[in-house]
Parts: sequence; C-alpha cells; structure tokens
Amino acid sequence: MIELERELRGLAAALDFPETPDIASNVRRHLPERRRAAWPWRIALAVAIAVLAVGAGFAVPQARTAILRLFGIGAVQIEFVDRLPEVRPAAPLGLGTAIDPADAPFPLLRSKLLGNPDGVYRRGDVVTLLYGTPERVRILVTEIAGSDFTPQVGKKLAAGGTHVEFVPIRGSIGPGVWIEGRPHVVLFPGGPPRLAANTLIWTNGRLTLRLEGAASLRQAVAIAETLE
Amino acid sequence: MHQGIAFRTAYLIAGSSSDAEEAAHDAFVKAFGALGRFRRREPFRPWLLAIVANEARNRRRSAGRRHALALRAAEEIRPGDAAPSPEAAVLGREQRGVVLEAVNRLSEEHRLVVACRYFLDLSEAETASVLGIRRGTVKSRLSRALERLREEVPAHD
Repeated sequence: MIELERELRGLAAALDFPETPDIASNVRRHLPERRRAAWPWRIALAVAIAVLAVGAGFAVPQARTAILRLFGIGAVQIEFVDRLPEVRPAAPLGLGTAIDPADAPFPLLRSKLLGNPDGVYRRGDVVTLLYGTPERVRILVTEIAGSDFTPQVGKKLAAGGTHVEFVPIRGSIGPGVWIEGRPHVVLFPGGPPRLAANTLIWTNGRLTLRLEGAASLRQAVAIAETLE
Repeated sequence: MHQGIAFRTAYLIAGSSSDAEEAAHDAFVKAFGALGRFRRREPFRPWLLAIVANEARNRRRSAGRRHALALRAAEEIRPGDAAPSPEAAVLGREQRGVVLEAVNRLSEEHRLVVACRYFLDLSEAETASVLGIRRGTVKSRLSRALERLREEVPAHD
C-alpha cells in the first residue's frame, strides 16, 4: 500500500504534462482597464495569484497569508513569520514627536465616532492620532502618506494563529485587511518594534490608514467608513 | 506556482492543453473579479482551484469530450532529473508504465481523485474543491481507487 502510494507520487515527476504557458501576462492584459486604475493592489494580487510561488512546505491554510506577506496593503507590508522577534512588553509606542494637527504634512482624516484625538504625533510621513494616553491607549489611527502598491513604510509581522481577513470598506481603494487574534508586531522606521492589538489596514486613494485597538471588526469598519 | 498547479489541474480535467490554458486564464480573471467576496475564513488555494476546475469542466463539455485525458509518461528524462543507469531506466519505465496503465483503466472518478492527490499533490481539501465533492468522499473514493490499483498491479498486495 505504502509502496504503491510512493510509486504513484514518483510517477508524478514522469508524467507528460505540457509546459505551463505564461498565463499571468495574458491575465494582466485581459483585466479591465478602468478597474486596473481604480484597484491597483487588486491587479497586483490577481497577477500574484497567477505568478507567485507558495513554498512547497507552506501549509495550505497559509496560502492566503503568503500572498499578503508578499504584497501588503498600501504602504504597509504584512509579513508572516514563524516566530515573532523579541519585543519588550512595555516597548514605547514610538509614535514620534507630538505636533499640532495643523502642522501635519497632509490634511488629516478624522472619524466623527472618535471625535478629537487626545494627541497627534508625527514621525516622518507617518502621523498617528492617539485616543487615550500613551500609557493607556484606547485607539490609534495611523495615517501614512501614499497608498501606492509600494509597501515600504510600515511593516507588520504576524505569526501562525493570527487571523487575517479581507474586508470591504466603503470608500477604500480595494478591500481592507483585518488582523486579529494573536498579537502581531508592528515596525515603523525609527520606532521600536512593539506588539499591536487588533488592527485594520486600508487605503483611501492618497493615504494608507491603520486603525489599532478597535474592539471588533464591526467597530473598526464603522470607524474606517466615517473617517473624512 | 499557482499558475502551474492551476494549469495542470485544468489540463487533467479539460483534457487538452489549449483548453487548459483558456480555463486557467478565465479562472484567474474570474478570481480577480470575485476577490471582494473572498472573505470567508477559508484557505485561498482550494477556492482558486475550484474556479479553475469549474472552467475546465465547462471547456471539456463544450468540446464534447466525454472522457478525461489518458495520462502518459514523458518519453524523455526531463532537465534536472538525475540520469538513471540504462537498466534502471528500463525497469523504472516498465514499472511506471504498468502503474500508469492501471491508473488509466480506473473509472474516471477514481482516476481523477488519484491524479489530484498523487500527481498534482493536492491536499484533501483542495481535491474536494476541485472535484466538487466532500472531503469524506475524497477519502473513501481514494481508498477504493487504491484497492482497485492493488488488484491491477499485483506486486502491491
């Protein structure tokens, strides 16, 4: 029985499957132009579905995360790792310098559900609205200049057990990504790595937005959809 | 690669290379269109392969092909394969031929489940998605197919 199964598996390499044609290029050509402009990361994802390798040892349930790992959302890259790096439990938020909202490098978005933030911080092109205090954070809304498909500003590391889900968000360029469950690590340039709570990431055309600390996906989406 | 596994899955079901290419292509475009609906807590690849398999079945139906492809072994050693000794090559080829013929003699539903699991190396869940059956059915069908193969290839009693 085992030998038969082994032979069957061995046979796979000897089978006369035709060479796989370059389907990805054709897919790219046939995707609608209008949507290509409006949904840049979805195009990238669609092509990625066709061309990206998923490591042979990659467990099936993680196939979707493999794609996320490679693509991220807007300026935030989501990377799945086997083990999270060591993070000090009380790592500072690393939000940067407190600023007057008027001094932000771009017009800030706010949600009427949250009202005025208790603090606004800037680190380069990353602006964070803090609700609560640095010691007792309720909600963090991070606004990052740029929504292009060039993940480079922020990086999130998540390990197995972290749940990731695509969610539609009104007004967002493409679905958002909801990360919940096991804590994940967030890294912004110049800031220390720290553990993050449930997070929603999405883009609105000119900014990549990140909401951390919402109690539920429903609450996160409600806040996201009222940001203006 | 997703495009590799998608193409081979489509090839297995559609039975022709050009139909497989079209089926995989259309499946990727459809998957793109349906990405917004992809929010279930399910792994990605079975979802994609189910779309591929569906497209491939449609192609096969429109081509009026009633039977799936008979699998063949490649004549030549592929690049990167270790070159076996001539004896080993002949023996290997003969044994391969016997097993492959037995696989090809299986009923189509048995042949497809064997091909998905062993030739495409799909998981049970992926095989279930591709064939449009439950995981339990994949298990029982595979078990019957292996029994049949053991009868056909007596060396594996």
